[in-house]
Amino acid sequence: MNTAPQDPRVPLLRAIGLDKAYGSTPALAGADFSLRAGEVVAVMGPSGSGKSTLLHCLAGIVRPDAGTITYDGRELTALSDTARSALRRTDFGFVFQFGQLVPELTCVENVALPLRLNGEKRKSAEARAVEWLARLEVDDTAAKRPGEISGGQGQRVAVARALVTSPRVIFADEPTGALDSLNGERVMRLLTDASRDTGAAVVLVTHEARVAAYSDREIVVRDGSVRDAEWAV
Amino acid sequence: MSLATWTRDLALGARFAVTGGRPGLLRTLLTATGVGFGVALLLLAVSLPNMLFQREVREAVRAVDGSEQIDSPRADSFLHLGRTTTYRDDVVTGLLVTPEGDAPPVPPGTAELPAAGEMAVSPALSELLDSPEGALLKERIPYKVTGTIGPAGLIGPSELRYVARVDFLTTENFDGRGTRYGWSVPEEPMNAFLVLLVIVACVVLLLPVLVFIATAVRFGGEQRDRRLAALRLVGADIAMTRRIAAGESLAGALFGLLVGLGLFAVARQFAGAFTIWDVNAFPSDVVPLPALAVIVLASVPVASVVVTLFALRGVAIEPLGVVRVSTPRRRRLWWRLLLLAAGAALLVPLMGEVQVTETRIDSTGVVAGTTLALIGLTTLLPWLVEAFVKRLHSGPVAWQLAVRRLQLSSGTAARAVSGIVVAATGAIALQMLFQAMERDFTELTGQDTSRAQIAVGADARNADEARGMIDRIARTEGVAGVIGVIESRVWRPGPLKGSEEWAPTTSLRIGDCASLGQFATLPSCKDGDVFVFLAHGAQGNPDDAQVTGAARPGATVVLRDPHPHPSAPKPPKGTPLPQWRIPATARIVDSRPDPTGMYQYGVLATPSAIDAGLVDEPDAQALVRLDPAVPDAADHVRNTAAGIDPTSWVRDLKDIQRDAAFSSVRTGILVGSTLTMLLVAASLLVSTLEQLKDRKRLLSSLVAFGTRRSTLSWSVLWQTAVPIVLGLVLAVAGGLGLGVVLLKMGGQQVQDWWAFLPVVGIGLALIAAVTLLSMPVLWRLMRADGLRTE
Repeated sequence: MNTAPQDPRVPLLRAIGLDKAYGSTPALAGADFSLRAGEVVAVMGPSGSGKSTLLHCLAGIVRPDAGTITYDGRELTALSDTARSALRRTDFGFVFQFGQLVPELTCVENVALPLRLNGEKRKSAEARAVEWLARLEVDDTAAKRPGEISGGQGQRVAVARALVTSPRVIFADEPTGALDSLNGERVMRLLTDASRDTGAAVVLVTHEARVAAYSDREIVVRDGSVRDAEWAV
Repeated sequence: MSLATWTRDLALGARFAVTGGRPGLLRTLLTATGVGFGVALLLLAVSLPNMLFQREVREAVRAVDGSEQIDSPRADSFLHLGRTTTYRDDVVTGLLVTPEGDAPPVPPGTAELPAAGEMAVSPALSELLDSPEGALLKERIPYKVTGTIGPAGLIGPSELRYVARVDFLTTENFDGRGTRYGWSVPEEPMNAFLVLLVIVACVVLLLPVLVFIATAVRFGGEQRDRRLAALRLVGADIAMTRRIAAGESLAGALFGLLVGLGLFAVARQFAGAFTIWDVNAFPSDVVPLPALAVIVLASVPVASVVVTLFALRGVAIEPLGVVRVSTPRRRRLWWRLLLLAAGAALLVPLMGEVQVTETRIDSTGVVAGTTLALIGLTTLLPWLVEAFVKRLHSGPVAWQLAVRRLQLSSGTAARAVSGIVVAATGAIALQMLFQAMERDFTELTGQDTSRAQIAVGADARNADEARGMIDRIARTEGVAGVIGVIESRVWRPGPLKGSEEWAPTTSLRIGDCASLGQFATLPSCKDGDVFVFLAHGAQGNPDDAQVTGAARPGATVVLRDPHPHPSAPKPPKGTPLPQWRIPATARIVDSRPDPTGMYQYGVLATPSAIDAGLVDEPDAQALVRLDPAVPDAADHVRNTAAGIDPTSWVRDLKDIQRDAAFSSVRTGILVGSTLTMLLVAASLLVSTLEQLKDRKRLLSSLVAFGTRRSTLSWSVLWQTAVPIVLGLVLAVAGGLGLGVVLLKMGGQQVQDWWAFLPVVGIGLALIAAVTLLSMPVLWRLMRADGLRTE
């Protein structure tokens, strides 16, 4: 959780000239990106264009082959794996398309998990988790396991989990990809409303225009290359 | 349902087993390897009876036929003497033959009877003698190698054996006279307790193999379920998907059978290279019992289908995915207890029925009872794990992840551990049996190895020769000291009295004071002294009166039997009986155990007290103390003894003597337990790795939001440890119970209630090993690659 005041002109997260290849397949080739505090940016592009890889690099999950990423004045690429993990626990939240909730934990335990990983006591972590479940309108799922709830409910639980640590950046990779349009819209509304309430920025990877419509700004990834018009270097 | 439909669906399933790219092939390979190892072990196990039988046959075939009494030499008769010697840690057996006519039979395995002074040797002995390591042995077996003993004359390919033709055998130093080879030597029946041990060991060792096979055919189950869901989407009905799943398992099991047959074929080729249960077998002797082999080969494919269908009970394969029955049926306790009770019902009536002196045992009851008890315990584990984890509360994150995982699906973990329950229960019960039986089968010999480590004896023509022999042994390399005596007998002179059939007699030992002091407690001793020493009936020795009736201070004794048996060789006519008067100053002393642990009795004389040249048929006896700093000292002594007289005897002294059969069974069970435990560990590891791989995406997403590596590692540890610990608790309770029942069968008492500790130690080592070996895969799966979708 991080609530330090931020100069709105200075990007909170900035990437310059990112290269990343998986074997001989290039995923990113000189990609640039920037994100201001509280901003919702949609990353769009066709399948296989490198959207998810860009997200993974920005979140410090994957180290780029070349280029630099700066977060809040710190060079992310220079941090150790342990430091990047700690950053992900405290400053970032994640929502993926599927496979993110631990099937054997109840929903409230799933939401409380990031807090507990940060060392918070179980009771207080679960109390906060229940609050977030209520905000995301899924408090009735608290005692259920992921296998016992619908896909839409599952994604809202995942959003609650992403927000529970009050992160400064939420990374959402196709968060509505497995949902019908009604559920998808509900999830997006709750995600963006909650992030705006807390001041969290959102990096939203999607290939759907109606999902991207919830963002403040859209960028397009094509063949691993990004052109961010506003913050181009 | 037509056969064609079944065949089509099974074939489709079989195709899935081999197609589907690397993961599919890997899964099939894993199943085939697992099943293969199990099948190979089972085939080896069902070959054991035949191996043992063939060994008996081979021994009988090469034995000299002693069923006919042959009193005088014939054209085809020969004198024979068996020789067994130890070379370092190996046993070398030999047969010495002296033909009495011109048509002696050819010993089995040899092309012809070797010429005098020559021998035929087994390939293993030939190799040893030709190598530098065999140089010392070459001195002991000084015959020229002129032939090879083939398989017909050997009980195993690694046997060290020779057949030599010698000219020094007489009816005085032989084992017997024969005219042909091949005799059915009655084997000493195995003691009932050993049979009990063997039976329990077989059940205990083979059940985990069966459990392992059942686990192996379920490798990759979750991937398979997803594939079946895809088939449902394109129109397969539920019955069809089950048949396809069965076909897939069947293919894996059949590949496993082929792998098993291959491994068995390879293993039997190496049968000669290993000695297990004292059996070193020719590959041709390692043949499974046909009926049991058919059962093994048929039960594996059938089991694979049954296990697969059983596993699919709790799974609803729907077109959009696999749904595990959300609220699995509660595991019932009653039928599991029923199995246990049935096992107990079979075993309990046998309590007190097995007697040490008997060789018969109700093996069917023991096998059925033990099997049911062990299966009952195994089936109890899933219930116990479920009931236990349900009550666990969450703690730290790693613990919470593990506990919740077990609460959601404890069956997989319990199945993987069930092999441990069987192996550990059996091992504990066997350990208890061993401890109770060790007393019966291990005896303290009473031999004092601090005074001597080897005893050597040889016939001598006269006292000088006997003294020379002792001196030669004393001068041998590696000998630190020798207790040497010339041994003969003294008789009471005069006619037989009353009902006497022979003249009263006792032993006579001539040696220096130091040597004589090893047989009796001497108050003082100097050259010229004589003692009559009495054992007071110890160890079943005769009454003191019988000794003093033959020899007492001041009495005159004769040094040759005054009333020999008519068949004994007679001295030249007119030869006077040599007489000796025991000095009146001779003292009567108490016998003490000699280094061989025996209380001897009779007369002890120092060299000046008697003219040793007069004694009849003297033996040289040397009790040898070895210099531990000299390598092969014992073999140097054995060589000297053989050099003095090829018919001399050499005996190694040991503090503890274990029954050979008991030691063999113990070794066999140790080997089997080790293999079983390795198999269980492999099964557990595979199942853990599989679970991890199935959770690749989840692990990656957990890492994405900052989960520490250590948290997930601890979670894996807890997930492995909880079921194993529960399994061990069950095994300890079951093992102690089974052990007590088995002990009570023979009226034995529990020697050590803590006998389970080593087994628990092994279980804990398994937890550590499986967790550690899982770590590289876990860390690899925790990479962000798992989040990639394209």
